[in-house]
Amino acid sequence: MWKDLADLLFQAYEQYSLLPLFIEIALAFIFLAILSTLIAYGAILHKRYRAYVYEKRMAFISPKIEDMITEQVLLNPNLGYDIPLESIEFDPNALGDKIYRKPFVRQMLIDTLIQYRKNFRGEVGELLRKLYIDMGLDKDSFAKMKTLRWERKIKAVVELTQMDIPISDVTILPLTNSGIPALRAAARNAYIQLSKNEPFKFFDIATEPLLPWDQLEMFKIITTTKDIAIPNFSRWVSYSTNKSIVSFCLKLIAHYDQQSTIPAVMELLSNKDHYFRADAINCLGKLSAEVAEDKLVKIYNNQPLNCQIEILKALGRIASGKHLEFLKSEFLYSSNFDIRMNAARSIIRHNTQNSRLMVEELMEMTHEENQLIIKHCLNPLIKY
Amino acid sequence: MPNILVIEDDDIMLKAIRNILGKDGYVVITAKDGKEAFEKLENADYEVVVTDLMMPYANGLEVVSRLRSDETKRNVGIIVISSVGNEETITEAFRLGADDYLKKPIMAGELLIRIRKLLSNKNSTSQLVTKKK
Repeated sequence: MWKDLADLLFQAYEQYSLLPLFIEIALAFIFLAILSTLIAYGAILHKRYRAYVYEKRMAFISPKIEDMITEQVLLNPNLGYDIPLESIEFDPNALGDKIYRKPFVRQMLIDTLIQYRKNFRGEVGELLRKLYIDMGLDKDSFAKMKTLRWERKIKAVVELTQMDIPISDVTILPLTNSGIPALRAAARNAYIQLSKNEPFKFFDIATEPLLPWDQLEMFKIITTTKDIAIPNFSRWVSYSTNKSIVSFCLKLIAHYDQQSTIPAVMELLSNKDHYFRADAINCLGKLSAEVAEDKLVKIYNNQPLNCQIEILKALGRIASGKHLEFLKSEFLYSSNFDIRMNAARSIIRHNTQNSRLMVEELMEMTHEENQLIIKHCLNPLIKY
Repeated sequence: MPNILVIEDDDIMLKAIRNILGKDGYVVITAKDGKEAFEKLENADYEVVVTDLMMPYANGLEVVSRLRSDETKRNVGIIVISSVGNEETITEAFRLGADDYLKKPIMAGELLIRIRKLLSNKNSTSQLVTKKK
C-alpha cells in the first residue's frame, strides 16, 4: 500500500515538474492554502474540544468546591465567637478528598477562593486565606512562580497578592523590572500591596518604564490599599534616572500634598526635558507653592508652549494675587488662543475682589473674542 | 422567619449570601438579575431585599426605585451591596429609598447585624402605627 502511494506521489511530482513555471507556482500556493486551512480547522477543533472538556469538568467539580468552601468557611460553626483564627481547624476528611490532589482541581479551587475573597473580608476573608494555606495551595502558586512561562508567573503573582501571602524580595524584585510589561506591572502592583515597610522600594531599581496605564492602575492600588507606608517621594524626584518614575512621583507628591518636597520639585524647573518641567510646574501648582511663583514667572518667556500653559494654570492654582497683572497682560497681548484661555481661567480662579474687578475691566476693554473667552471661563458648569 | 430576597448576578456571591442568611434562619429566595427579581417580587412578600447594584436587565437602583414607588411594597427594607463605592451612587441609592448600603468586599457578620437592625426598626415602626390607630 505504501509502495503504491509512493508511486502515485512520484508520478504526480513528475507530472508537476513538466508543467510551466507559473502553473507550478499557482499549484504550490493552492496546496499551501489548503494545508494551512486544514491546520487552522484542526487547531480550532482541538481548542473547542479542550474548552468543552474543561466546562464538563467544571460543571462536575465547581459545585463540589463551592459546597466544601461553604461548609468549611461560610458555615463554620466557630465564626462569630471571637475565636482566634489559628485555632479554627477544618475538617480533615473534607480537605483530604482525593479529588483535591488533581492539578486542574487545585487550580479551580484557587480561582474560586480568590472569587470569594473579592467578595468577603473580615473573619470570612481571613478564613478563606487560612483554607488556601492549609490546603497547600500557596505552594502551588509559588511553584508557578518558578516556571519560565510569563503568563503563569503573572497568575501566580496575582494569586499570592489576592491571598495576601508575602513574597520574598529576592523573588519579586527582579520581576518588577522584567522586560515583559504585563509581568512587570503585576509584580509592581503586588509589591506595593504586599510589602508592609517599603512598598516603593522597587522604584530604586526600576529601569523599565512605568507605562501610563500601569501608572493609573498603580495609583488606584496605592490610594485604596489600607495601611500603606507612604514615603517622601522627593527621594526619587531628585535621584531617579527613570523618567516615568519621576513623573509618577510628581503626581503622587501632588496627591499626598507633600509640601516638604517643594525644593526638590523646584530643582526640576531647570531640567532639560520640557515634559519633565511641565510635570514639575503642574505639581507645584497643585501644591499651591507660593514660593515658586516668582521663579515660574521669571522663566515663563523661555519656555515652550506646554510649559507656559502649565505656568498659567499653576498661577491660578496658587492664586496669591501677586501676578494678576502678568496674567492680564498675557490675556490681552498673547496671540495664542490657549494662552489667553488659561490666563483668563487663572484670573477668574483667584476669586478675590481684585480679580473680580479685573475681570469686569477686561470685559469692557477687550475685543469680542476675548469677551467670549471670559464668558466661557466664568461658566461654573464647565470644568477644566 | 422573615423572607429575604437576594438579588445578585455573581453565582458565587449569591450562593454565599444565601448560605449565610439561611444559617441564621431566614427564608432566602434568590434572583440572578433585575428581571427575575421583579417577577419574584410580584409573586411573594418580602421583609428585606438585598440587592447588588450592577446587574443585567435592571440595576439595583431601578429595583430600589420600583419598590419605593409601589404602595404595597413601600415598607420592604432594602440593603444595597456593591463594589461601586463612589459617593454619587451611594447618595442616589439613599435618595431613591434604600435603607442601607454595604461595599464589597462585605463582612458576613456586618450583613447579618444590618438585616437584624432593619427588621427590628421595621417592627418598632409597625407597632407604633398600630398603637396610633
